[in-house]
Amino acid sequence: MKETPSSTGHAEGTGRPFRAGPLLALMGLTLVSLVFVYPFAWMFFASFKENRQIFSPLKLWPGHFGGQYYGQLFSGEWIPFVRVFGNSLLIASAQAVGAVAVTSLAGYAFAKHRFPMRRMLFVVSLVVIVLPQQALAISLFTWLDALHLSNRLAGVILPGVASGLGILYFTQVFRQVPDDYVHLARMAGASEFRVYTTLLPMLASPLLSFGLVQFILAWHEHLIPMLVLSAADQQTLPLALASLYGSSLRFPFAVLMAGSTLTLIPTVLLFALLHRRFKSSLSELLVH
Amino acid sequence: MRELRSEEPLQRPRTAYLLLLPFFVFFVVFWLVPLLGGLRMSFYSNELYGTSRFVGGDHYRALLADPRYFKALRNTALYAAYSIGCILPLAVLLAHLLQSAWRSIRPFLTFLLLLPALTPPAVLALLFLLVFHGREGLLNQLIVLPLGFKAVNWLKDPSFILPALVLQTVWRWTGFITLFVLAGMDGIPRVLYDAARMSTESRWHLFRTVTYPFLKPVLVFSAVYLMVDAFSLFSGAYVLLGGSGGTADAGLVLVSYIYQQAFTFGKFGTASAISLSVAPFLLLALALCFLRVRRS
Repeated sequence: MKETPSSTGHAEGTGRPFRAGPLLALMGLTLVSLVFVYPFAWMFFASFKENRQIFSPLKLWPGHFGGQYYGQLFSGEWIPFVRVFGNSLLIASAQAVGAVAVTSLAGYAFAKHRFPMRRMLFVVSLVVIVLPQQALAISLFTWLDALHLSNRLAGVILPGVASGLGILYFTQVFRQVPDDYVHLARMAGASEFRVYTTLLPMLASPLLSFGLVQFILAWHEHLIPMLVLSAADQQTLPLALASLYGSSLRFPFAVLMAGSTLTLIPTVLLFALLHRRFKSSLSELLVH
Repeated sequence: MRELRSEEPLQRPRTAYLLLLPFFVFFVVFWLVPLLGGLRMSFYSNELYGTSRFVGGDHYRALLADPRYFKALRNTALYAAYSIGCILPLAVLLAHLLQSAWRSIRPFLTFLLLLPALTPPAVLALLFLLVFHGREGLLNQLIVLPLGFKAVNWLKDPSFILPALVLQTVWRWTGFITLFVLAGMDGIPRVLYDAARMSTESRWHLFRTVTYPFLKPVLVFSAVYLMVDAFSLFSGAYVLLGGSGGTADAGLVLVSYIYQQAFTFGKFGTASAISLSVAPFLLLALALCFLRVRRS
């Protein structure tokens, strides 16, 4: 909401719709955020605790902070942590870049071109949203095997590139670009691909925002990597952590919690960096 | 500018198809072929390699007589309905609160709310193993016991398994949907509220006449998103319940049933039939949602 000078001058309670009183709202929000944050705080502090302490969740603070569980994680004693972290990073980045490139190109075509069967192709590509890979996992798995893509990172990266959400999003984004820009570039004799690339800089925010979403989705994916990657050093981070649990009763839970804590870093970091762009492209999308 | 505009739109189909080509290559290879492969598989007997033979609609007919299939279908539908029914009102409420609180703390609060959505579901499920853990779990220690109830065995007691899955999902997505709703609410012109306030000061009335109609597309989109996510629920149920359906199949959801049929029992045909049997319903639900938005 745009905050105009006059609206701040209003008496509390009438300045904005539904003004519950900022203080009251803040109290409610603090309570809710506590519910959201407490398990994370617990996870973080648990990465310093012995098993015995972990299962008394009301004692949040660990006795002492020692890095030994992080050390065990990095030394590869339980899982090849560095390796699987790298795998996940590679898979998520490659899929994000691939999906952005492929779907933005298609979105440009859908938004700025008229051609036979345009509507039909558009609708067909949206069906991907409703029938996600997970639903096709079984036959995807046998098909990837036939393509010799099983146990390869590419087997996890490639299937996620054809994103229906990306088509929907980028068609909308390119529709909002004024036609004049496109015509100007065409008048200057640019090829259609060149027109597309000249538009990209002004679309940095939506491109990065969708890339972020795709990165997060790929970083989180569990079923497809589980089916495709069976070798221990080819696994992804969530897979390795999930397999660690239940491997033995004796292993220190803190190692698992340390690994889980580190899993958060890339997505949180990326989100913190792109937060502003993400918010602006979100409201851009919803307002127009 | 004017003259430029008049000579377009561009009618060069070949170029447009070329731009679409990369997407449709991926679409065909990694979506259409698996879909057709799955369809074929669902009409063939359960042997995986070579020896399978055509059985027609046998797998589908068998499903109609399979109580576990209906159990999984029912659980998934309930899980989706409960999750959406909890998340959307909560998100609208939270968005209202965020709008009422001071602007300067918004980024920080939205970040906290988003934290669960940034966490991989497998890790989240690991975390929730501890939250739901027997007597010592966080939920029991922090809420159930202090309120004077008996400790709930969340992941073993059949009447609490599905609520536990819903709870986890609500916790995961509410913040994300809130951000969405908030962006939608920020786009509502203030004049509309001023106009509506001429006749009433009732908040509920303002919400119904101004906020809700504007938010409707956002809410429908969120519902569709959550529904598709609910029907592809795997990680949460798999890690929390160890790949089975939990006690008395109370937590058996479609994707875990598919997984079980395929990789525990080796029945790839049955598994494919299950996956494809849901597709028409999802398509129909999606079409209905979009039609309703289109009309309003």
